[in-house]
Amino acid sequence: MFYPLAGKLIPWFAIPAALLFATGLFVGFFIAPTDFQQGDAYRIIFIHVPAAWMGMFLYVLMAIYAGIGWAFNARLSSMMASSLAITGAMFTAISLITGAFWGKPTWGTWWVWDARMTSTLILLFLYIGFISLQAAIDDARRADRAGAVLALVGVINVPIIYFSVQWWNTLHQGATIRLLQKPTIRGSMLAALLIMLAACWLYSVAVVLIRLRCIILEREQSASRFAEVGV
Amino acid sequence: MGGYGFYVWGSYIASLIFFVWEVVSLKQRKKVLTQQQQQSSKPVSTPVLRGSINETTS
Repeated sequence: MFYPLAGKLIPWFAIPAALLFATGLFVGFFIAPTDFQQGDAYRIIFIHVPAAWMGMFLYVLMAIYAGIGWAFNARLSSMMASSLAITGAMFTAISLITGAFWGKPTWGTWWVWDARMTSTLILLFLYIGFISLQAAIDDARRADRAGAVLALVGVINVPIIYFSVQWWNTLHQGATIRLLQKPTIRGSMLAALLIMLAACWLYSVAVVLIRLRCIILEREQSASRFAEVGV
Repeated sequence: MGGYGFYVWGSYIASLIFFVWEVVSLKQRKKVLTQQQQQSSKPVSTPVLRGSINETTS
């Protein structure tokens, strides 16, 4: 039942994602003005910040699904966790690479071992560890359980990333947007940022659903092969 | 880009490479699975043996 439903939902997320990416980039490059301090280098924010947020958000989501799959033996939940991992890792990698491109002209260096960047790198390692662990175990149920343990243990890293700029004296700037405070950036910049965030979110839903359908097919085929052999 | 073109375009090009890689790899994965599914659903034709030992000679 979920397989056909997921197939029907994919275009409803993929097409708006493409439109929002185009809109966000247009607003970010042609409407938002040049920053008086950083010049045009700041325009990296429109991909760097949404990617960083998505990397953290998808990890928490992955841990939740993995935990539900483990606790309730819910296979679809575990499959969803597996599906989220690659997209989350990709966004985390994008945030690190774009952060390096932003750091070079603003700080004069591609990388520093400050709290935020180091903890984000650890997040990427956690994602890679989750993906590798699941790939290394042939039995799907055992792979799901092992992955769930890693995902749940690693989730503590997400609040560390988020609060690192407050807890430690870091080179990385503070939060661009705070939920309970008025934003300090210009309206057009904020608009572009939020449009790109929405685009990244819709894109994530679309690709995660596509990958989930692939995982469902793979596990079904694997189960059929075992049934034929009589295992 | 006020001298920052390399950094700004470099960021977006690197990001685009990731997005394209993900979509292409997913399409490829789906294609392989669909082909496997079609092959496994084809009826297996049993070969007909000539001169079967069950034939009786009259």
